[in-house]
Parts: sequence; structure tokens; C-alpha cells
Amino acid sequence: MYLVRVNMTNRTYQVTEVPEKYKYLAGRALTSNIVADEVPPLAHPLGPNNKLIFSPGFVTGTSAPTAARISVGGKSPLTGGIKEANAGTSWGADLAVMQIRGLIIEGQPEEKDKFWGLHITWDGKPKVEFFDATAYTKQPLSKVYPPIYEKFGERVSVCSVGAAAEYGYCNSGVCFNDQSKRPSRYAGRGGLGAVMASKGVKFIVLDRQGAPGVEIADKALFEEGRKKMIDALRTHAITKPKGGLNSYGTAILINIMNEAGGLPTKNFSSGRFEEAPKIAGEAIFETNKVRKGKEIFNHACSPGCIIQCSNTVYAEDGSEITSCLEYESAWSLGANCGISNLDDLAMLNHLCNEYGLDTIETGTTLAVAMEAGVIPFGDSKAAINLVHEMGKGTPLGRILGSGTETTGRVYGITRVPTVKGQSIPAYEPRAVKGIGITYATSTMGADHTAGYTIAPEILGVMGKVDPLSPEGKAALSRAFQATTAFIDSSGHCLFIAFAILDIASGYQGMIEEINGVLGTNWTADDVVKFGAEVLKVERKFNEAAGITKAADRLPEFMKQEPLPPHNTVFDVPDEALDAVYAEL
Amino acid sequence: MNTITVDTWLYGELARFGGNPEERIFANRKVSLPEGSRLQDLLNILGMRTEERGITFINGQLSAMPGLQPDLDHPLHDGDRVAFFHLRSMWPFQYRHGVTMIQEMQKAIIETDQMGLHHAYSKDQPKE
Ligand code: SF4
Repeated sequence: MYLVRVNMTNRTYQVTEVPEKYKYLAGRALTSNIVADEVPPLAHPLGPNNKLIFSPGFVTGTSAPTAARISVGGKSPLTGGIKEANAGTSWGADLAVMQIRGLIIEGQPEEKDKFWGLHITWDGKPKVEFFDATAYTKQPLSKVYPPIYEKFGERVSVCSVGAAAEYGYCNSGVCFNDQSKRPSRYAGRGGLGAVMASKGVKFIVLDRQGAPGVEIADKALFEEGRKKMIDALRTHAITKPKGGLNSYGTAILINIMNEAGGLPTKNFSSGRFEEAPKIAGEAIFETNKVRKGKEIFNHACSPGCIIQCSNTVYAEDGSEITSCLEYESAWSLGANCGISNLDDLAMLNHLCNEYGLDTIETGTTLAVAMEAGVIPFGDSKAAINLVHEMGKGTPLGRILGSGTETTGRVYGITRVPTVKGQSIPAYEPRAVKGIGITYATSTMGADHTAGYTIAPEILGVMGKVDPLSPEGKAALSRAFQATTAFIDSSGHCLFIAFAILDIASGYQGMIEEINGVLGTNWTADDVVKFGAEVLKVERKFNEAAGITKAADRLPEFMKQEPLPPHNTVFDVPDEALDAVYAEL
Repeated sequence: MNTITVDTWLYGELARFGGNPEERIFANRKVSLPEGSRLQDLLNILGMRTEERGITFINGQLSAMPGLQPDLDHPLHDGDRVAFFHLRSMWPFQYRHGVTMIQEMQKAIIETDQMGLHHAYSKDQPKE
């Protein structure tokens, strides 16, 4: 396996074997360790000393199901701390097949207005060529992907940044192709798009032709694990074909969270949106059925996915508006902005993909702007205009592109839903206390993917604490965050968690797959330990960057303003929040 | 006898119990019941078998999960909001950890072997 280091100061590159110390690291574990080892914690995120690191997970690029994840890491311009964001895409699988465990982009070109593309091919080992990509800048991404495929061939995978990143927005993601060559799969959060653009990199094109594939140390064990994982995914009600995710996508959660009173509405002023059913997964599925004349089940974002949760929203005339409209995007751009027009909501999502904006941060920013009176809540057409302003780089657009916290500051708003500078996603902590603990303490800033429930074994780590007490919730959050850091390193999509939590052999299968690839003897205990080590590395970087435990708090208004309909505040004591990392 | 009105929300394929058998997105039906009615009585009036529903809420409080239905005898009051979800719906544990539940549900969850971590509890749902 190789580390490929690209220096954008002089456009040179180096290919080396993965050093011993990184041999058993991949995905998030590798990106976070390289950031901690090589990026000065006080470096400016958009300066020459930050680095952008890509790493596929352990089983990415193999025949393991639902495992084409790519992790992207660096110091975040949004939080000022360490960041890992990941996406499912053939790009991740291709990087792994080319035996690139880590791709590091470093340095910075002197010319500010010039952008480059990297074309990485296989020539006995990875080979990098540079091409001038300046002509592709400041355009919607759907306009620049087709000419790139034309130039490099249909089989390549494409990573890119949009106009938002070129402007240096804290709210810009790194974009990857989906299976239909759409620029639509995002490592969205934390502004890593701007880090990539700050290196003068517009595209990273991978051509895997001739590449040898991922080496597997123990093929029999890997096969055994893979079969167990496939069985689990194929039988579980949520992950099986035509099951919950395949029919309704993640937006299935809209009505549930709404009924629970935990769907943040109109900039977190209520937990219930009366028009929520119009933007939910059920509405998307049924609307598509009417508009296309048949039931449309969801598709895979990346090769080898059994779950296939990615939806498409079609317009009245049957043409495509956007793919994919996730729960968190439908929430942020919909309920949180008081918007219930499904077509306009889909258009907002599409525009975020076009300009390279994180949909969550964009929606929460628009809602703060609505609260400030820039446009009214619920005005979907005006919201569309604001996203265009971001895409065009107007002064207002630049303010909004800086994210929710900056926008709140510019307009003097106090109800600003952020932790460590990153906005809180779709699950209201005043209604769902457990997720609030994870939002407050995650190394990533508020992040709904930081604490998945993976396996019942974690209850063992908790000992005798009552899971409904604040201490119990803190202990669970710690275990969730650690096991999630492991999955983020495995290469699997987090959605395998639904199946392997309920089907123990699936969880075993995941560990066997990885042992098969690496030749290790990891056990369920090692999963938690591995994850905890990743968190420690991230935490240490953040502390050195000035983000201490004082930042492990939810915004003040959540402790003071009761949230309808339950009229509760976030009342988990600070000591419980501090306990999450004190006992790691 | 006095009657009560229950604000009933039916989602996905359960929307067909809301009055229009073709409806599959959602339905909102105000159901009149005699005072003293329980959740089971509401199901009877809707014509819905209890096995057809999964996640259920009474006034925003979780009252049932697939295969775990401690709410059948829960008394209903005038103005209550009850929501029924179909079996393809889901609610991962990390997104419901610490939400409010009706008392019967809280007790039932604690009595499950793994503190309610799982998605489903019935025998036909995969759970080793
Ligand atoms: S489950 Fe969904 S997000 Fe995950 S890999 Fe499959 S299609 Fe992509």
C-alpha cells in the first residue's frame, strides 16, 4: 500500500510505501493521525501549512458490501479543529484498488487564480500528472463533470470542489461522483472544500485501469465475514431490498422526528413543523410514483451497496430535480426554514450540489438569515435566490457562505444553533437528550454521524450505570463515538449499523472482513479500543488548536428556551458532558 | 355518554385507514370515541390490526416500537394526538436516546434485555 504526497507549491509528487506506524490505520483513523502528526494545530486552515488527506477504509475497494467510503481530513476552516468528513463513491474504491492508502495534498501555489487538476493513473505504481483546470472554475458542477469525463474517459472517478470552495467558504464540501456520474456525493461538513481549493486543486481524477486491487491477507476469513455481512444487510427490515431505506431513503425520519417533537423548525424555535409530511420520505416516494407512473426504489451511491438508500426527486414533467435528498438536507433546507414546497426544496438541494455547499450548514444559515429578517421563513423562492448569491460570490453570499455562526454574528442573532462553530443537524437535543451529549462533545463540532449505535456489546463497557441517567448517557455517548470512529475507518457506510446492531453475526462479519484484509486478530473489544485511540488523537489536536472542554457545550439558548411541543430545555449537567472525555 | 376527539395521524401505507383507501402519504383524521376509550379502541374504529403498526406516539411520547406494544390499554383523552407509523419506518437508537415515552413504554423498554437498543422486538424481525 502506498502514500502519495502531492506538493502543490511546485506541483511535484512522491510515492512511498505506507510507513510501519500507519500500517493498521485507514479511513478516519489515518486522516486524523496524519493531520495530528503533520499539521501545526495553529496553522491557518486555508494557508500553506494545512494539509488535505484522503484515505479509503480497510475494506474499501474489496467485494465487501456497502463499503466504498472515502474519508477526507484536514484542519477545518469552520471549526478551527480537526475534521474528517466522508462520502460513498466509486472514487474511494478506485483509490483503494490503486493501493493508495493515503493521498496527501500539501503546500500552496503562489498564483492565486490558477486551478489545477490531478490525473492519477496506474503505471506499475500510482502516477500523478497535473493539468490546468482554471477554465472549469466558477461554474455549476454539473457543467464541468461531463467535459472531464469526455477528456479522461468514461471509466474514471472524479473528485472536485465547486464555486463555494473557490471563494474560500467555510461551508464548502468536497464533491465526488455517484454511480451515474452526477457530482452529488459530498464529504460535506466543515469546509474541507475550501482547503482543497486553497491548494489550487479543482479536480482529482482517478483512472484505475491496470491497478492490482486491494491485497487480502486471509481470503477465506474475509469471505466468511463478507457473507455474514451480506446476510445481515439482506434480511434486516431497514436495510434489505425494498425495505425502509431502499423505499423511502433517510427522509423516512422526517415524520418520526416531527411526531416526537424533535424536528427543529424555523431556526430551532419549535420541535414540530405542521407541514412536515409534505417533505418526508413517504411523500417523495408517492410523488415520484405519480410523476413517473411507477414505483421508484432508491439506488446505490457507490459500487457494491446492498442497502441502496439514495433517492431521486422528479419534477412534474418527469425530469430529475435532484439526487439525493437526504433526511438532514430535507430538514435543514425544509422544516428548519419553514419550507414545505417539495419541488423548491429539491431545487435548493440541487443548487447546493451545483455550487459545492454543505446542505446542512446552508439550511441552518438560511434559517438564521430568516430569523434576522433577511427573507421571511417559508419563502422558498427567496431562499433559492440566496443560494444563488452564495454561488455567485456576492457580498451577502460570502457572508452566508461563511456559515451559521458567522451569519448569526453579522446580524446580531442570539439563537444560533452551533457547537464548535458547526451547526447542529436535524435532531433536536432538547427533545433527544442523548444526541445532545454527542453534539456537545464530538471532536468534529455538532455532528449527527459521530455517535452511531453499532453493537449491544457497548452496554458491557458501561458497567452498571443506568443508561437513562446523565452519567449513563455520557458513558453511552463515549462508547458510541468510539465505535463510530472504528466504522469510519472500516470503509463501510455507517448505515450497516442498523443491521449489525440487531444481527450479531453481521457485527462479527465486519470484524472478520477487516481481519481478513489486514491479517490481524482483532476482537469486539479492539473495536472500542481502536476507536478510542482515534478520538484521543483528535481531541489532543483540538486542545492544541485552542478548543478545550469549555467548547463541549450546546448553545446557551438550548438551556434556557423551552422547546415546544414538549417545552423542555437541555438539562444534561455540564459534569456529565465533561465525563465523556474525562473517562476515555 | 360524553365523547372525546383524538387527533389521529397515519403515515405511509397506514394512511389508507384515514378515510381514503388510496392514500399512501399521510392522513389526519379526527376520531370521536366514547370517554374512557383506550388505544385499542382507536385501532378498532380505524379498522387497523395492531400488528400493522410500528412506531407509535401519543402526544409526542413514544408508546410503541415494532413488536413492543405496551400501549394498548393506554387511556385516551380529549384532544390527544396519536400517530401511527408503518413497518418500513425506522428510528435508530442514537436518535431516540433520551426522548420522552409514555410510562408503560419506559417500563417495557427497561425490561427488554438490551435497554431498547434494537430496532424491532417481534419474532419475525431479525434479531438473534
Ligand atoms: S447505504 Fe446509502 S449512503 Fe450508504 S453506501 Fe449505500 S447508497 Fe450510499
